[in-house]
Amino acid sequence: MLKMSRVKKIYRTSLVETHAISDLTLHIEAGEFVAVMGPSGSGKTSFLNIAGLLDTFSEGQYLLDGRDVSHLSDAEMSRIRNEKIGFVFQSFNLIPDLDVFDNVDVPLRYRRLPRAERKDRIERSLEEVGLQSRMHHLPSQLSGGQQQRVAIARVLAGDPKLILADEPTGNLDSLMTGEILDLLERANEQGATIVMVTHGVECAARAHRRIHILDGRVVAAEPISSPTAVHDISFEAATA
Amino acid sequence: MLGYHLKLIGRSLRQRPTHAMLIVLGIALGVAVATAFSAIRHSFAKDPIPEKSSTLHYVRIDSWDLSSYWETVPSQLTYIDAMAIMRSDIPVRKSAMFRAELNVVPEPGKTTASREAARLCFGDFFTMFNVPFEYGKGWDRSADEARDPVVVLSKELNDRIFGGSNSVGKLLHIEDRDFRVVGVLARWSPSIRYYDLVSGRSQSPPESMFVPFNFAGPMQIRPVGSQSSWKPPSGPGYEPEMFTGEKIWLQMWVELPTADKVVAFRSFLDAYVIDQKKVGRLRRPANNQVTPLLDWMAERHSVPPETTVMMIVALLFLSVCAMNLMGLLMAKFLARAPRIGVLRALGAQRWDIFVLHLLECEIVALTGGAIGFVLAWGALFGVNNYVKSMFRRADLFQMDWTMVLFAVVASLVAGLMAGLYPAYRVCRVSPSVYLKLQ
Repeated sequence: MLKMSRVKKIYRTSLVETHAISDLTLHIEAGEFVAVMGPSGSGKTSFLNIAGLLDTFSEGQYLLDGRDVSHLSDAEMSRIRNEKIGFVFQSFNLIPDLDVFDNVDVPLRYRRLPRAERKDRIERSLEEVGLQSRMHHLPSQLSGGQQQRVAIARVLAGDPKLILADEPTGNLDSLMTGEILDLLERANEQGATIVMVTHGVECAARAHRRIHILDGRVVAAEPISSPTAVHDISFEAATA
Repeated sequence: MLGYHLKLIGRSLRQRPTHAMLIVLGIALGVAVATAFSAIRHSFAKDPIPEKSSTLHYVRIDSWDLSSYWETVPSQLTYIDAMAIMRSDIPVRKSAMFRAELNVVPEPGKTTASREAARLCFGDFFTMFNVPFEYGKGWDRSADEARDPVVVLSKELNDRIFGGSNSVGKLLHIEDRDFRVVGVLARWSPSIRYYDLVSGRSQSPPESMFVPFNFAGPMQIRPVGSQSSWKPPSGPGYEPEMFTGEKIWLQMWVELPTADKVVAFRSFLDAYVIDQKKVGRLRRPANNQVTPLLDWMAERHSVPPETTVMMIVALLFLSVCAMNLMGLLMAKFLARAPRIGVLRALGAQRWDIFVLHLLECEIVALTGGAIGFVLAWGALFGVNNYVKSMFRRADLFQMDWTMVLFAVVASLVAGLMAGLYPAYRVCRVSPSVYLKLQ
């Protein structure tokens, strides 16, 4: 699903060169649930931005669902983001002046789906996260957990192959954390590949394997539970 | 997507109404000033009779003497030349004319006389210039030939003398004789008295009454306004001075609806001048001018140059308003960066973001433009009242559909000037940068 080879992200100024990602090589199979871990500033979010085509990279190759996305135009990247990728953010990133229905509608609008199909998808995804009764509430009228469920409904409505979650439970209590992880697990069971950046060991425990990033490189990858979920991971640990 | 964009813009504007209102007011101020000054210029520059302006021609013949120091052809005709043209069958309509002032006594012996502006013209005048009538109509050619004592009144004079009633058929005492009212004009107030750009202010309203030209001689009516002569009259009295001499005092209009008619009429004039040279008149080289109305207006500088300067300054002011709003819009758009980041992450392309923001600028600009147009209308009302005593009318400057279109275009251009760069900037930043701002 996601294959990065020697990917680098370098921020250059006239005085310094900062390597946010250095020679990152990583392979995630379709259907995996991967937790990406690492200390603050290790490059987790930069990795996630590149993986989600939210940011470009300086060197290397990135194959997403078998397609080289290293040199795509903005329009092509936007289309892939819209059709293949779903994002779940720590701070929910709902649009405050749109109600729940309209928030879930956003990616479907940019996919130019017919009205009836959009309505059907929105209602089904909100039902899946248990918020169909809050369809016309504004985000400010919902709790943090409910807002994150709306964000997940927004992802589910788009039916993406890849879900990128950046500390999705970082702002939630333990009860809500469990609910959100349940939803992500369910999406994974339905076929979506999930890459979740997290600091929480309990959260990471829900994943099939953990990938550790340090200084912009993958330093370790370890399977967690079921042997069937453990794949032949190719990584070049830059621990030397 | 347009509908969706409009929905998002509506929500966004409602979210920060004060900010939006500031931008709207900025555009409104600029559009108001630009529209008001452009409307003033437009009042002078617009085609006063677009349906037939190309067929109306002003006629001049160089009747100066060889000894005259004037280099240009005179702006009016002598009586001899005007009457020669009146005898031509080539123009479908024609009228020699002049402006005068006549005493009008509504009820002789009971009321005092009032001095009214009058135009002495031929019956073709009314059809030629599409003059609108409220009651009755103008007189015909037979009335001209028979020298019928008929008169057409302006709406204002009819209101004053006859209380606005249908006065057709009633008698009106003018100078020393009675005239029968045959027509009353509807409201007719062209911004420029385009049929006479020679006598007095061209911005003055049309005359209060219209009297058959052929009464000029019997009533010895003299023109008010421009008149000149290079040759002293052959004798004392009205006729030698005005009719048989070289006094230049009459305006001459002909209606030539086709190019063939124009060519034929020019040939007629050339032949006429050759004939006149044989009898010792028109000694300068032939220089006949048959000038279409709009060209004549341009030649007479009917658009005061200061109105053009004021319009340019006003447009610059609108540009300054737009450029100042650019900063405000930039701040507004960048403050919305996280929201844009979300839209980009969810599939919006740069183009979508650019269009969304430019559309918002244009909606705000059009709202400002609508308010600006109303303000400009109010400003014109004030200006009209200010110049009322100068031009004896309170409707000199008017708004029309051209100015509505101008205000719309000015608003859109101002919106584009103010919003193009902020919209471009906001669509170019990487979505990951926006999302970090969350």
